[in-house]
This record gives sequence, structure tokens and C-alpha cells, in this order.
Amino acid sequence: MLNLIKALLGLDKPLWQQYTLYLYHAIQGDLGLSIVTKKPVIEEFLTLFPATIELTLCAMLFAVTIGLPAGIWAAVKRGTAVDHSVMAVSLTGYSMPIFWWGLLLIIFCSVTLGITPVSGRLSAEYWIDPTTGFMLIDTLLSEEEGAFADALHHLVLPAIVLGTIPLAVIARMTRSSMLEVLREDYVRTARAKGLSPLRVIGVHALRNALIPVITVIGLQLGTMLAGAILTETIFSWPGIGRWLIQSIARRDYPSVQGGILLVASVIITVNLLVDVLYGIINPRIRHTR
Amino acid sequence: MALLEMENLTVEFGSEKNPFRAVDQVSLTIDKGEVVGIVGESGSGKSVSSLALMGLVSYPGRVNASRLNFDGNDLLAMPQSQRRKITGSDIAMIFQEPMTSLNPCFTVGYQISEALKVHVGGSRQERRDRAADLLQQVGIPDPLKRLSAFPHQLSGGMSQRVMIAMAIACNPKLLIADEPTTALDVTIQAQIMDVLLRLQQDRGMALILITHDLAVVSEAAHRVQVMYAGQVVETGKVPDIFTAPRHPYTQALLEALPERSRGKRRLTTIPGVVPGVYDRPKGCLLAPRCRYADATCRTVRPQVSDLAGAKIRCFHPLDDAGRPTP
Repeated sequence: MLNLIKALLGLDKPLWQQYTLYLYHAIQGDLGLSIVTKKPVIEEFLTLFPATIELTLCAMLFAVTIGLPAGIWAAVKRGTAVDHSVMAVSLTGYSMPIFWWGLLLIIFCSVTLGITPVSGRLSAEYWIDPTTGFMLIDTLLSEEEGAFADALHHLVLPAIVLGTIPLAVIARMTRSSMLEVLREDYVRTARAKGLSPLRVIGVHALRNALIPVITVIGLQLGTMLAGAILTETIFSWPGIGRWLIQSIARRDYPSVQGGILLVASVIITVNLLVDVLYGIINPRIRHTR
Repeated sequence: MALLEMENLTVEFGSEKNPFRAVDQVSLTIDKGEVVGIVGESGSGKSVSSLALMGLVSYPGRVNASRLNFDGNDLLAMPQSQRRKITGSDIAMIFQEPMTSLNPCFTVGYQISEALKVHVGGSRQERRDRAADLLQQVGIPDPLKRLSAFPHQLSGGMSQRVMIAMAIACNPKLLIADEPTTALDVTIQAQIMDVLLRLQQDRGMALILITHDLAVVSEAAHRVQVMYAGQVVETGKVPDIFTAPRHPYTQALLEALPERSRGKRRLTTIPGVVPGVYDRPKGCLLAPRCRYADATCRTVRPQVSDLAGAKIRCFHPLDDAGRPTP
């Protein structure tokens, strides 16, 4: 029996053969079976990944829509009360322990006010077939009444919690980058053309100030896609982060191993995409031959 | 009526209680089609006063003037949105650093047609044609192709030509050129000055030429204003101001021209530097560096006075032979 299992897991072969075999299969997308569920690791990952993507994109949307304008505002009003409060709030957000911040929000919004659900992606009363894996899209497709609003409700708190640190980073980065750009000669040229302040800041300055901000957003996005371990655990969000933590707890080595490998590839891919985006926004890179 | 009437323009920075005057009661009148040179050392307030004229001095700078009329309109009384319609169309400006004055993220064509879009209007195609036409006027070869170039693909001289094209896009009545050739090398300097002066004559626009280069001023300008430490020390006609300067500072500037030191062992200089924020002298601002300064100069600040068609800020204006009068 023991020999049979050893043979099944390939443990009877020498170590170098085991490793070569693992690499050989990994290249073809076969990362082995999970010890716990006996399902292929890649399949588990792909089932859970949409949940993480959904959460990450919503968190990033939250972080960018608030962080970018806040940073611009602080830069334009530098040295004033606006600037100081934006910086104070973003520093607080940046230094906040995520698990504590998540719990605080749950206690306040879910328990005291009762306006948001405590955890999960959807209430038990709905059953949605996973067509795309993205709950927001699936609930819309299912035509089940109230399901979309329910999914959105579930998403709000985790997205806020996960987006807090990126928000702070983006706000600070935008501010400092903007302050630098506002001193540039071409901003003075834009003003000398008689353009409105909105156009000077929103078009001429922002386009240049965005270059380092995009880099930061990309780096943050990569980390978040790798699984927001704390956030997903607190909100029982069925994503990559929580799956990795559970796999570690269960000593599910193939899952941990394969999961880490996939997460690493995701980060590399995102960074590559950011580099491509960099070329689109910055003509000086695009035209270098 | 003069095109520009500016009286006692003052620009202050720093706190209300302890302000630093970068520009101190500068007055300037310019007629249509007139070329006025403004000369002075670095830090004499040349650039700041023209930025104030453009409405580009922003917080914490404070601009005041007893009169600032352009083409019959009071620039200080009108709301910002109204003033922006004049800035960039009727008054335009080109800057010292052409390489950094163009936005690196947008094409040359976009940046030129943007000025047209805001002030003139017209369809995209019309603006594009006009932009190409403007590039042609400032002497850029193959203008249609250049429209899609980014600033980093242009040389300094090319960038300055683009800046000029952008500034004249809306047919300004007054063009301010703030040291347009300082950052360029000598052969290009002459070309850019040629372009500027040709456009000035063709269009009959007034030109304020801010420069260190007295030679350029002597050739191109009708009138010269000499500034020192934020104040106008002498205003006079060309060539009078070059043949018989009335102010000791003007005299010293002319003597510092390298050509005038020919045959000498050392170049003539003006000793010392322009006084900074904290070391403004009590009397005449030039007194510590002036070879003719006496006790009155060191304790009392002189006011501007008329003297044979020129305006001088000095107790002892020089006579025709260049000697101080008592």
C-alpha cells in the first residue's frame, strides 16, 4: 500500500527525476493534484482567480477614483489645510493594519448600522451559475432580481479595505509627482496660452504626472492580484489569498507550490503590461529605437 | 492711444508683513508695432514683470499696479476668465528654455492647434492647416511632417521656432520674448532673432525683447528699459542710450561688453552682485556697486526723473561725456 502511494506520487524516483518531471508537467500547465481535494491545482486556481480579479479591480477602481483626485487637489492647494488633511488621512490609511481596519468596518457598517453583509460574495438565497466566474457579471446574466445589488453589497467593504493602502500610495505619489510637474516650464507655457486652470492641470500637467503613478498602480495591482490574503480571509472571500492560506494550513503542498508559481506569473504578466502601457503614455519611450 | 500702458507695476512675494519686492514700481508704455528692449542682470525683475503682465504670477506672488491697460482694457479689473482670452491671443510670450517649454507628452501639432482651438476655433482640419502654415512661417522645413513630431525629437533651435509659431498662432498684438536666444548656440541665436524680427515687421506687432544681449537690443529695439534689482533705472531711445547713457549702471553695463575691452588685459566687470532679499541697501540700490555714489546715494532712495526725453533714477545723471553731474 505504502509503495503503491509512493509510486502514485512519484516518490519512488530519484530527486532529480522528480524535479525534472515536475518541470515537464508544469510547462504543460499540469501542476499536480491537490492532496486535499484531489482536483488539479490549476483547475482550483482558475475557479478561484475570477473572485480575486473582481475584488482587486474594484479595490483599484476605488483607490484610483479617490486617490488620484485627492493627490491632484493636494498638490494644487499645496501648503494649505486641504493639502495637510489629504496627506494626514493618506498617511493614516497607509499605516493602518489591514485586518484591524477590516474588522472596524465590519463592526461599524455590518453590525452596528447593518447596511452591508459581513462576509462572502453573495447571500445564500441566490444561486448563480458561475458562467464567467465574475459575480457582478454572472448576477447580471442570471436575470435573478436583486442578485446584482446583493453581489455589489458584498463587494463594497472588501474593496474599500483592500483599496485603502493603494489609495494612500496613489494619493501621495500623485501629489509629489504633480508638485514636480507643476513647476515645469511647459506648465507655464500652457498657462501662457490662456488655457483654463482645469485644462492646464487636467491635461498638460496630469499627463506628465501620471507616468510615475502608473508604475505604482501596476506594482500595487500585481501584489493585490497575488491574493489579498488578509482581506480575503477576514471577509471569507473565496479567492486566491484565502485558498493559499488554507492550503498552507492543510499542508497541501502541491497547491501551495503551484499557487505560488501561478501568482508569480500573474505578477510578472501585470508588470509587463504596465511596461507596455508606459510606452503608450510616455512618447519619449515609444519613439526610442 | 498706446497699446500697453503700465504704471507702477509692483510684484511682491513673501508674507504681507515682510514682503520682498521682486518688481518695484515699473512703468512701461508701448505703442503698436514698437520694439522695446528690457535689459539687466539676472535677478533684476525682467522676467517677473513680464509674467505679471501675462497674468502668470500666481499665489503667493501679489501683483499691483496703479494702471495696467492693454488695448483700452483694464487687465487688473477684469475677471480671470476674461483675462485668459487676452493672454495667449492678444499678448503672447516665448520663453528662455525652448527644450523644456514644450510639453513632452503631446505632439507639436497638438500644442499649436490647442492655442487656436481655445482662441480662434475652426475645424480640426483648418487648425491643422493653419499650424502647418505657422511652422512654415517660422522656417521649419517639411511642416506637415513636423506636426506629428514630439518635442524630444526636435533640437533647441527647432523647439524655439515651434514656441514662436505657437505664440503667434492667434495674431498677438504684443509678443513678449523672454531671453529667446540665451539657451541656444550662437549661430542659431542669429536665426531665431531674424525670425522674430521678420515676424514683428510683417505683422506690425509690438515686441518686448528681454535680454542680456545689448548688441541685439541696439540693432532691433526702438527703446530700451534698463532694470536693476526690480527697478527701472533708465528708459531711453535707441541709439541715444548707447551713445550717451545717463545712468551709471547703464554706463557700466556698456563698458562690460567684451568688445569694449579690446586690447585690455582684463575684461571690464561690475563689481559685486545684485542685492538679494535681505541685503537691500537703504539708499540707492546700486550705491554699493556704483563708482560715483556719495553720502546721499547711500542714505536716500532716488526717484525717477525726466531728463531730455529719457527717464532716470539717479541723483547724479551722467552728462554727454559720461561724467556725473553734481
